[in-house]
Amino acid sequence: MSAALEVTNLTTDIQLSRSVVHPVGNVDVKIDPGQTLGLVGESGSGKSMLGLSILGLLPNGGHIVEGSIKVEDRELVGMAEPALRRIRGDAVSMIFQDSQSSLNPTKTVGEQVAEPVRLHRGASRKEATDRALEVLELVGMPQPKERLGTYPHQLSGGLRQRVMIAIALACEPRVLIADEPTTALDVTIQAQILALLDDLRDRLGMATLLITHDMGVVAGRTNRINVMYAGRVVETAPTDRLFSAMRHPYTQGLLGAIPRLESDNRRALTSIPGIPPDLTNPPPGCRFAPRCPFVTEKCIEHEPPLSGSDSIHRFACWHPVDGPIKRTPQIASVDSSVPKRSNGDAAHLLEVKDVFREYPITAGVLQRKVNSVKAVSGVTLHVDAGETLGLVGESGCGKTTLGKLIVGIEKPDSGQITLDGREVFKLRGRTLRKARRDVQMMFQDPYASLDPRMRVQASLREPLVIQGIGSRKEQDERVRRMLSEVGLPANAVERYPHEFSGGQRQRIALARALMLEPKVIVADEPVSALDVSIRSQVLNLMKRLQAEFNMASVVISHDLAVVKYLSDRIGVMYLGRLVELGSGDDIYRRAAHPYTDALIKTIPVPDPVVERSKDDAGIRGELPSPINPPSGCRFRTRCPRAQQKCADEVPELRRFGPGHRAACHFPLQTPILGVDADASPDVAVA
Amino acid sequence: MTGYIIRRAMVAVIVTIGIAVISFLMLHYLSPSPVYTVLGAKTSAAAAAAWNHAHGYDRSEPAQLLTYLGQLVRLHFGYSYKLGQSVSALFKENAGRSAYLTLAALVLSLIIAIPLGVAQAVKRNSLGDYTATAINFTLYSMPSFFLGLILIQLFALDLGIFPPTVSDSVTTTWQAFTHPLQLTLPIVTLAAINVASFSRYMRSSALDNLAQDYIRLARAKGLSERAVLMRHLLRNSCLPMITLIGLSIPTLLAGNLLIEVLFNYPGLGLLFYNALGTEDYNILLAYTVLGGILTVLGNLTADVAITVADPRVRL
Amino acid sequence: MTDPIRPVVEGVPGAGGGGMAVRLPLESTPPEGGDVQVIASGWRLALREFLANRLAVVGLAVLVFFVVFCFLGPVVYHTNQSLTNPLITDLPPGGSHVLGTDDNGFDELGRIMAGGQTALEIGFFASFIATVIGTLWGAIAGLAGGIVDGILMRIVDILLSIPYLLIVLVLATKYSATVFDESMIIGLFAWLVPARLVRGEVLTLRERDFVSAARVMGSGRSRLVLRHLIPNALSVVIVNVTFQIADAILILAYLGFLGFGLQYPAASWGDMLGSAQQYVSSGYWWLVYPVGGCLVAVVLACNLVGDALRDAFDVRLRKR
Repeated sequence: MSAALEVTNLTTDIQLSRSVVHPVGNVDVKIDPGQTLGLVGESGSGKSMLGLSILGLLPNGGHIVEGSIKVEDRELVGMAEPALRRIRGDAVSMIFQDSQSSLNPTKTVGEQVAEPVRLHRGASRKEATDRALEVLELVGMPQPKERLGTYPHQLSGGLRQRVMIAIALACEPRVLIADEPTTALDVTIQAQILALLDDLRDRLGMATLLITHDMGVVAGRTNRINVMYAGRVVETAPTDRLFSAMRHPYTQGLLGAIPRLESDNRRALTSIPGIPPDLTNPPPGCRFAPRCPFVTEKCIEHEPPLSGSDSIHRFACWHPVDGPIKRTPQIASVDSSVPKRSNGDAAHLLEVKDVFREYPITAGVLQRKVNSVKAVSGVTLHVDAGETLGLVGESGCGKTTLGKLIVGIEKPDSGQITLDGREVFKLRGRTLRKARRDVQMMFQDPYASLDPRMRVQASLREPLVIQGIGSRKEQDERVRRMLSEVGLPANAVERYPHEFSGGQRQRIALARALMLEPKVIVADEPVSALDVSIRSQVLNLMKRLQAEFNMASVVISHDLAVVKYLSDRIGVMYLGRLVELGSGDDIYRRAAHPYTDALIKTIPVPDPVVERSKDDAGIRGELPSPINPPSGCRFRTRCPRAQQKCADEVPELRRFGPGHRAACHFPLQTPILGVDADASPDVAVA
Repeated sequence: MTGYIIRRAMVAVIVTIGIAVISFLMLHYLSPSPVYTVLGAKTSAAAAAAWNHAHGYDRSEPAQLLTYLGQLVRLHFGYSYKLGQSVSALFKENAGRSAYLTLAALVLSLIIAIPLGVAQAVKRNSLGDYTATAINFTLYSMPSFFLGLILIQLFALDLGIFPPTVSDSVTTTWQAFTHPLQLTLPIVTLAAINVASFSRYMRSSALDNLAQDYIRLARAKGLSERAVLMRHLLRNSCLPMITLIGLSIPTLLAGNLLIEVLFNYPGLGLLFYNALGTEDYNILLAYTVLGGILTVLGNLTADVAITVADPRVRL
Repeated sequence: MTDPIRPVVEGVPGAGGGGMAVRLPLESTPPEGGDVQVIASGWRLALREFLANRLAVVGLAVLVFFVVFCFLGPVVYHTNQSLTNPLITDLPPGGSHVLGTDDNGFDELGRIMAGGQTALEIGFFASFIATVIGTLWGAIAGLAGGIVDGILMRIVDILLSIPYLLIVLVLATKYSATVFDESMIIGLFAWLVPARLVRGEVLTLRERDFVSAARVMGSGRSRLVLRHLIPNALSVVIVNVTFQIADAILILAYLGFLGFGLQYPAASWGDMLGSAQQYVSSGYWWLVYPVGGCLVAVVLACNLVGDALRDAFDVRLRKR
């Protein structure tokens, strides 16, 4: 049986205005029908470019320099364009990451799904529409007949992605290339789409190329994995073998850099220092050498070939490793299993009491408020000195809004936010300004949070200048110290933000947040915009600084593993409400709320054995709109345990253990009775 | 969506009233009364005062403003003392010819600009693109009458194909339509200036769309470049043009005025120009307000058209 | 080997940075965050982008040329511009008159220089007025928000709906005799577009994270405006100024052609084109095309420069 897709020694170049980039070099790929090959790498690894090369969709100035691409033994390299077009969308199709911009906003869903059918099968409009309906049903689109006439912007992200899959499958391709198909989606939706892709692959016998940066996604869904770095394939192996017995240091580092739910958050993450190379001028030897802990002279001068003792596991390294890193050092003085305070009645540093925030929606002739987005609906929590609280949830859960409320960028509609007992944001003028020293924020987007016109020196000095702290000399000194704390060179002060990479900018943002030595720091998605290998650098840094500065933090992220790694306690939010609150262990091992439980089960884990043993596809259904959230318990529309009571009554937070609470009428654990839910906070154990 | 349209319409009404008020105040400031134009510069103060009183020019400014607004609502644009006709009648006489000239130029410029802009975007940075951009920039930087003079020099005086000015025998719109040679130079000049700005805009809109992912997906379906352009790119790139045309009404009016003067074409523009010379302020005021109303209507129509054409904007 | 030779974990005291097994002599350990690639400072980057655009450089050169030509030219090339000489009117180019003479016997080339002076003066002056008023108006509207913004912008909408040329012409019936007059009537209604632009820019900037960050640090309103909003909005304003100058000179041409212009014997390029039509039909091409050509050249240069500036600022912000 010949391979459905066979790529040999493919090299692609892109001619830029001033230089030539070599995004893909000497890459081999082989996929049999009905199999999935995972192509893993970070940004700049060339994985997306490889997918585009196969279809001949390279950007302007791009062309295949050498190599061969065979689809069912037909050679694509050198094929004339009209013949290539017949293959595109028919024998080989592709799904892209961003479904929002990948669908034509002015054409209906039906038209777009029918288009490839009309093109490749010569179908009439009616026949094509019938087939479109068929395919939409195949991809699990609810109410497919009604959807034919809708426009892309009317659908949610998950549904739009189904439309993209439908378009790709309309002509029953032999090969499917999925480029980051679920990266832009929420975790629970991601699981649905991945399960759908698996199911379709089995039914249609397609060969699938799954391109992603997420090791968890490939762990359970692929037969084989190719790891790419800087345009080269550095390791290729069957999935199990790659995870349990990888040989390339990059693969080892990559897997060590990912925070995992089940691991101890007292251990540091493996970090790969530095940044990927510039592909207009790649290093002569091994491309990973500048960052490799095992590098020798040989590595710098000669590029290792892809080789191995057997033909199914091959790697490109002169000094291969033997499997994953066994132990990483413990991070000093961080003990997360014990709550920080010593007695139960001590005042909390930061208290959020019953906070509400809604955004009005106006409509009609007179622009009257007709509805509102219920961003935060009655959240109560607290953070103590020196501890880290994590807030996790999917889009629309209100965690970002809550972060903004805590920092004072927005004001709650009702409820209180107190710092050290004071309602800080009700103050005015100079007292408010002084009080702001205690609460600082690290923003999500490293590109947008620094003023592009200010040098780093000025950006870092700014908090001190505004607060009138220290003389010019003292301020400069503090800036210098902080820069070295976050691992940036001293000459960074002269530079502008655009001269730094994403990870470096995030360090600057962190440094700026720490300049005032605040009591509480709120970090909103601190690492989401960063590559995996850079993420671990910043996470380790944050963990070290947390211990060093002994400040309280609120870490907000959609990534539970990141949150669990950084936090002492975790709050799970859903559609504006806090549904569960507890330590990392509580959440991971003793989840009481069905949503938390589903989250734990659906998050892709970089462990093939665990992934494959997951049997259900997670939570059904789409996320309800925060404009019209369900009555009573907002999770009830997707909850397998929901009953009438859930629609009638809003569940209160009940205790399930020291510091562990959840709001559910039919929880997965037994609540501790006899204590009023809203009474004094959790009592310390030790 | 109806709510949106009603809201925009109400805003349009307010803006129109504002236009009328401001124009009136400005004109009133420049020329409080036409008495000296009518009776002659040497008329006595007493006679002037009497005439002013008889025609209501001695009332307070707010009162005159209100009267004016009231007249406007009934579409009475005042009276031209110099030409001895009501302004409305003068407008009616000339409007058809001006409309023909402007619309013909607009249609011609769109027929050229849209394909040109798309072609430039597709063949970005090619020799053709650079040449077209260079020509566009030059046309854009040229006063319209200057372009007209060059064309007259070349095609009318040197080559003798077209007449240098529109002949006096062309007096009605129908005649304008049936004598294309007479109108060629004016229409081409007016269109050329429009093409310059339209195609620049179109090129930029097409470039924006070409960079979008949905174009890549369309190619991934196996569509030929031509199909991708015609079925996906063209429609989405034209959407901003709708807004642009709505916003271009003032420019079109200005161009119309200059071309009519240059080619001696009897339309509203020429009427306005003559009124400038004779200081016939009622015509000036009326045309300014009319221009304002047309602009507001143009914007409103463009807004409505966009909500119809672009499904994302349907509120 | 299972575990690496040296600790790969950063952030643990004693782990060191970089992690390279082979230390090249005299090289200091790169910091954990990696070295910073030097690109260029913000303004220098924009300048480099700008200069890379050859057309823009040409445009800039043309502008400089004309400024020198118009203001320094007469110093080198003396001509009579005030006493009419009926004997040498309308002479074609030749002899001591490089571009011939005009209706009054003035040397045409000298006239172009003089006309250029006033045209440039009016252009700069008018755009200055327009930019200052427009920027302030737009900034106040964008910052104040609410009802103030609504009223200010409604006024802009109304004034924008009145065709610009018509208003200028109407005003010109009374005020067009002096440089000041002409600058005023051109500038008085040209501030509307920059007002809209600046307001839009301010509104966008207000929502940006770095402004929120400054607020979190305790920054007051005035500091936000002066240190963050204005410098970032500056690029929009600068681009707009170049287009304003271009438009002002064009309007000047229209005014001149339609018979409104400076008091004789002063003249701008626009006035010189006042009788252009007669000249063309009489065959006096040297009184029309050179002037027109200069005018087009200056306007074109401004447009090129403005376009390139817009691209240069955009690229810099997008540069990663």
